[in-house]
Amino acid sequence: MEEEAINAGAETVNPYSALGKFFRAFFYDQMTKRVGDLPLNDALKGVENFEPAYNSQKEIYVQILKWLEESNDEIATLVNKGNNNVAGDIYFGGDLAKWQKVVNAFHLRILTTLSSKESDPDLNVKGRFAAIISNSGKYPLMQGLGDNLEFVSNAFNKYPSNPDNFGFDATRQNMSAAYIDRLKERQDPRLFVTSEPAGSELKAGKPASDFAAYHGASSGEDLADMSFKAGTSNGTFAPGSYSFQNRNRYYTNYEGEATFIVGYPEMCFNIAEGIHRGWAAGSAQNWYENGIKASFEFYGIKDGANTFTYSKTGGKNASDFASFNYNFNLNGSYLTQANVKYTADVKGLEQILTQKYLAFFMNSGMEAYFNWRRTGFPKFYVGVGTGNSERIALRWQYPFSERTTNQANYESSIMAQYGGKDDINDKIWLLK
Amino acid sequence: MKKLYTLSKHVCVVLLLLSSMSSYAQKTITGKVIDYRTNEALIGVNILIVGTTTGTISDADGNFVLEGVKSTDLIESSYIGYETRQELVGERSKIDFIMSEGVTIQEVVVTALGIKKDSRRIGVAIQSVDGAATTKAREPNAINALAGKVAGLTIGAQPELLRKPNISLRGNTDILFVVDGVPVNSDTWNINPDDIETYSVLKGASASALYGFRGKNGAILVTTKRGSKDKRGFQIDFNSSTMVDNGFIALPKVQDEYGPGDHGKYAFVDGKGGGLNDGDYDGGWGPKFDGQPIPQYDSPVDPATGIRQGTPYVARGKDNLTRFLEPGVLSTNNIALASSGDKYNFRISGSNTYQKGLVPNTKLNIVNFNMVTDYAFSSKLKFSSGLQYNRQNSPNYPDINYGPNSIIYNMIFWGAADWNIDDMKNYWQPGKEGIQQVYAEYQRYNNPYFMSYEWLRSHHKTDVIGQASMTYDIAPFMDVMVRTQVTTWDLLRTEKMPYSAGSYGRDERRGDYREDRRSLFENNTDILVRFDKDLIKGLNSKIWAGGNVRSFNYSSEFGTTDYLNVPGLYNFNNSSNPVRLANFKSDMSVYSGYYSADFTLKNLITLSTTGRVDKLSTLPAGNNTFFYPSVSLASSFTDYLPMPSFISYGKVRASYANVKDGLTQSSIGATPVSSYPIGYGEQYFSPYDGPTYQNSAVYSIVTNYNNQPSAVFTNQLNNPNLEPSSTSQTELGIDLKFLDNRIGFDATYFISNEGPKIFALPVSSTSGYTSALVNGIKTQKKGVELSLSGTPILDPNGFSWNFLANWSTYQEKLTEIYPGVESLNNFFKVGDRVDKFYGRAFVRNPEGQIINDASGRPIYAPVAQHLGNINPDFVFGINNRLSYKTVSLSFQFDGRIGGVISNYVQKQTFRGGRHIATVEGEYGEARYQDYLGVKSYVGEGVQISNETSLNFDANGLVTNYGALTYKPNDTKQFLQDWVSRYYNSDEGNLMSRSFGMLREVVVGYTLPQRWFGKSIQNVGISFVGRNLLYFAEKKDIDLNQYISGGSSDVQTPSTRRYGVNINFNF
Repeated sequence: MEEEAINAGAETVNPYSALGKFFRAFFYDQMTKRVGDLPLNDALKGVENFEPAYNSQKEIYVQILKWLEESNDEIATLVNKGNNNVAGDIYFGGDLAKWQKVVNAFHLRILTTLSSKESDPDLNVKGRFAAIISNSGKYPLMQGLGDNLEFVSNAFNKYPSNPDNFGFDATRQNMSAAYIDRLKERQDPRLFVTSEPAGSELKAGKPASDFAAYHGASSGEDLADMSFKAGTSNGTFAPGSYSFQNRNRYYTNYEGEATFIVGYPEMCFNIAEGIHRGWAAGSAQNWYENGIKASFEFYGIKDGANTFTYSKTGGKNASDFASFNYNFNLNGSYLTQANVKYTADVKGLEQILTQKYLAFFMNSGMEAYFNWRRTGFPKFYVGVGTGNSERIALRWQYPFSERTTNQANYESSIMAQYGGKDDINDKIWLLK
Repeated sequence: MKKLYTLSKHVCVVLLLLSSMSSYAQKTITGKVIDYRTNEALIGVNILIVGTTTGTISDADGNFVLEGVKSTDLIESSYIGYETRQELVGERSKIDFIMSEGVTIQEVVVTALGIKKDSRRIGVAIQSVDGAATTKAREPNAINALAGKVAGLTIGAQPELLRKPNISLRGNTDILFVVDGVPVNSDTWNINPDDIETYSVLKGASASALYGFRGKNGAILVTTKRGSKDKRGFQIDFNSSTMVDNGFIALPKVQDEYGPGDHGKYAFVDGKGGGLNDGDYDGGWGPKFDGQPIPQYDSPVDPATGIRQGTPYVARGKDNLTRFLEPGVLSTNNIALASSGDKYNFRISGSNTYQKGLVPNTKLNIVNFNMVTDYAFSSKLKFSSGLQYNRQNSPNYPDINYGPNSIIYNMIFWGAADWNIDDMKNYWQPGKEGIQQVYAEYQRYNNPYFMSYEWLRSHHKTDVIGQASMTYDIAPFMDVMVRTQVTTWDLLRTEKMPYSAGSYGRDERRGDYREDRRSLFENNTDILVRFDKDLIKGLNSKIWAGGNVRSFNYSSEFGTTDYLNVPGLYNFNNSSNPVRLANFKSDMSVYSGYYSADFTLKNLITLSTTGRVDKLSTLPAGNNTFFYPSVSLASSFTDYLPMPSFISYGKVRASYANVKDGLTQSSIGATPVSSYPIGYGEQYFSPYDGPTYQNSAVYSIVTNYNNQPSAVFTNQLNNPNLEPSSTSQTELGIDLKFLDNRIGFDATYFISNEGPKIFALPVSSTSGYTSALVNGIKTQKKGVELSLSGTPILDPNGFSWNFLANWSTYQEKLTEIYPGVESLNNFFKVGDRVDKFYGRAFVRNPEGQIINDASGRPIYAPVAQHLGNINPDFVFGINNRLSYKTVSLSFQFDGRIGGVISNYVQKQTFRGGRHIATVEGEYGEARYQDYLGVKSYVGEGVQISNETSLNFDANGLVTNYGALTYKPNDTKQFLQDWVSRYYNSDEGNLMSRSFGMLREVVVGYTLPQRWFGKSIQNVGISFVGRNLLYFAEKKDIDLNQYISGGSSDVQTPSTRRYGVNINFNF
């Protein structure tokens, strides 16, 4: 992309080079978080080097941070010049100022990712964090949901849950207890937006507005049991004794909801976490509550009366739906309850990460898992259904091809990182 | 006296000189024709100089005199009821023919470029099949009929309508087809068996090196019939077969005791997931058919409540599949008129093949028209020509490929027995005709009759192959030929997908229309100089030298709507979203020079060498010109060594060849430079033999977001220094005949060193590319081919028996990958067989027991494991012909022995709960408990008893056996969930690839001539059968077509074919 831009006559610093650095940072983070060390200095050289040596994960993060600084600087220069020439930008229509906010929000994600290395002088996590959140001139940050980097589905790129595949997915993909239980504990009405009440509870007479009518399955449950329970007959009520994705929100059109890639709520929670960890001065509680508010805003939940729609029968036709009202008070009751109220102790960290997890529902790729892996919050369930001898894997194996195409470097890297094994249950440097 | 002596010496010298010229001078040949068995003279035998109209017949004593013969001529003796014999004249002036009934002692063999050679002088492996062998018990595809008839040629006979048989010659798949000396572009359906005199299979590179890179993998040469040998100067032949496909030899057996659903539960609301397991269901895991009330697709809806009422749940759909499929029909008719005169050969032939498929409303019509005209303007200038027109026409052929586009998928894998196939014949919903089909499920599947009559795929292909040549005799020992040939075809395929039909990626079910248009034009023009002369006495040379220019043009267009606006209007204008189009064009030129030189020293030994230079426009400059040498030796040792009397003939032969090719491909799909835009069904691959453009670094265009085009750069690094790929083959053989030629034995051993090939070397994706185009990978094939033929019993007035048995085997091993690369595709290391099959396997303890998880189900190894080898240990075919007077019986049994395959039909029928075994024995009892909601099945194997995790290495092998203790598996599980785990593996579905087949049986009767008078002759009627018996470990699949790959695929059940053949001439 950058080469073609230069070939087409662009200057050395141009929108493609600036965004290219961000994309490199983004994808290197995605890759190294999965496997560990990666080729960096020798990588992407084509015919010049088919067997690139590996760099350490630390070196990769140093480079990612450098790219993000450079990207921010270059975009600032271009924005000042009024050069917004990005053709075919499906996210922001070439608005580099919006990209700059994304770069900095992503920068905060990277710093949060590095929380266990906060004292490493080469990474300088704390210093960078403080610089970003204290200098909005140099590091413009997202102001709200409108600044999200997000994928908007359409009639060609349909939302993954849509009317076409209702019969494939909607009746099979029951909800997880890890999500449902956290919402139920908090009397959190996001549950009513994203989930359906369990048909067995409707049959038993519970109203859909009763949090107790919702059940998720443990992700450790034997899939034989889970599918059996998800398919029990409840007569005219929706099948199963588990909750499913809300039919009204996810299965009545092709647009579904916007899928965050780098979202504003996450940024708020990342700032809250950094302040909580003492990386900079500020109010962790404010940012924590901003994140919660943004997530409620995303789901259209407002103070006062809200109308929620559910499916009585499990179907998705107009005649299947019913609705109920629910009164909500964010500041007055939701934020003040013990399960939500921010505290400066370790429980506060769990609160931040739990709310971040809830705001990650169906978005931001694997970030919910990466945050769990880093902090252990919130609790995930394991069992025979987890496979892998009932363990949640901690990393990905390197691509198979690397074993044969770059054998010597692969083997020495695996030796240095994991004592010669390429096992999904070992910890990457970031977690050590 | 002295003077006389001197004179005679001079005369001798002159005579010597003359004799060296004599082979080009015309001479007179005398001889006698005798019956092989009785040793008595044969009267009235036709004696003819091949390729001319010069001939005579033997007299009452069996003697003949034939004038105007050259030493290079072939003389043929033919006699009704007897095998035709040919002899090369050579130095002889007296040639006796020993003729026998029904015995083939092939003496003249068609070799590369159509050069006919005396088999004594051939040093390479060639096996011929008489064209007549394939015209009685017919196959719709002529190549299918070669199965079992040639050692080393494996035909994966393809039962599906319009699909090409899988062909493997010594393990190579891209075989060249040649008609009358010139390569043609063939999909195998444009070969008409009625016009074929012989098939000649050039098995190795040394036999086909003269065809350059196209002949790299061997070739099948077809020699068409020319003219008539009838002494009246003309004949009309008629051949007609009518056969029926009926009676299954391979059919998945399914249970009809349980209906669709999941864990015994089902209730229809809208068939799209609105009910209980009523969308995208498994066809056999639902409730038991007990007549209990369950809402079904045709149950009444209470108008007051809108709720569907229950109706009795019974197996209305027992044997749906066999009730749906119809008997197939294969009908072929051919009439040919042939005439020969002093100056001409003429033959005109018309054929029609009509095939009706097993799936309703599927059929194929092939019309073939063939014309051959030869004319001699003078004794020196001769014209020869051939023209073939072939039209394949199918208004609807079935799509077999896995997915809702396939009737077989819908019915066998996931269909259920709760609906009756007969109720599906009225397939439109009342009031929604043309818009909405009726079926028992609306999310994933489709009504079979709706698919058959509304979802139509057409195929129209016109092939024209024409050639014309002029030959001029410059001197008695030398001529020159100029020949030009065109092979061209046009193809149109369409698909009409109706509203409410669904398949992968077409879930809006709003219909589509597609067109696939392709055309290919190829011209081959040759000039060939032929020289045949004794250089000195006893040393004959036969030298051919020529040049060839091949020009190739191909273009294609593929277009599809993106849903339709108006239902049923199949036109691009009617596309709801923008039409998607892809086009492709390619051109290529190849300039070639070649020679073939045979030197024969007396009768001792023949040395043949060939060479060819190709200049290809597909390869980088500097590496685009390459040379293919071949050399062979043949020596008929029985001509000069004393042998025991039971050995009547013996020849040893040896050959070597090196052939190359580069960046061409044998077949091509619909959208070569972009990804195929249709996510389901079959992409048609037509024959191509043109450039790949693989070595060009290009962008491909895709629509990633909101239908906006975006460009993606190639992941493959190109290579300006690429060299052609190379194969060297060495071959040794011996041909023996025993007991006065009654028994023949041919053996060939070959070693083929293949590579370095052109291949996409996987490179570390961290380099920015995933592969680089390089020269690398070497493999070595070693193989043996044996043929045993004979006539143990011969009595023209009584009982006779002929047989031919073929046996072949080969193994291919990886000998080198690329410098510094130790394994290929993760699994293959140098020294490994290349046909190792890696698939999903169970984890087992050191005692070999399956290790189950805490749910009582087997654990899969995280990496695919070696489960066996794909290739058979050997391939065999046995042909027999028994005759008694005018009645004959011939039959062929063939098969392949060894190798393993993952049975895909078994896998999917188990997963869907339809496999018959799920209601039998222990499974049957456990399944009933499933239906009652009780877990009861305890699978084989063990569980870990000490709470220790299984750890694996990178190859998927357990690393901590020492830390594990086991107990017998004691966890009860639903049968459905156990089956879904166990049979969703390759190991659980592994079966032997061995099979044997009674391929064809022909019972023939030649009707007495007196019934017909003079006008009609040789009236034969045959009762014919194909694929009558099939022997295999499991008969839910037909193994015939699977000659490669680790897993089988979706297939239409295979049937027997039987019928009647009538042929006569007048």
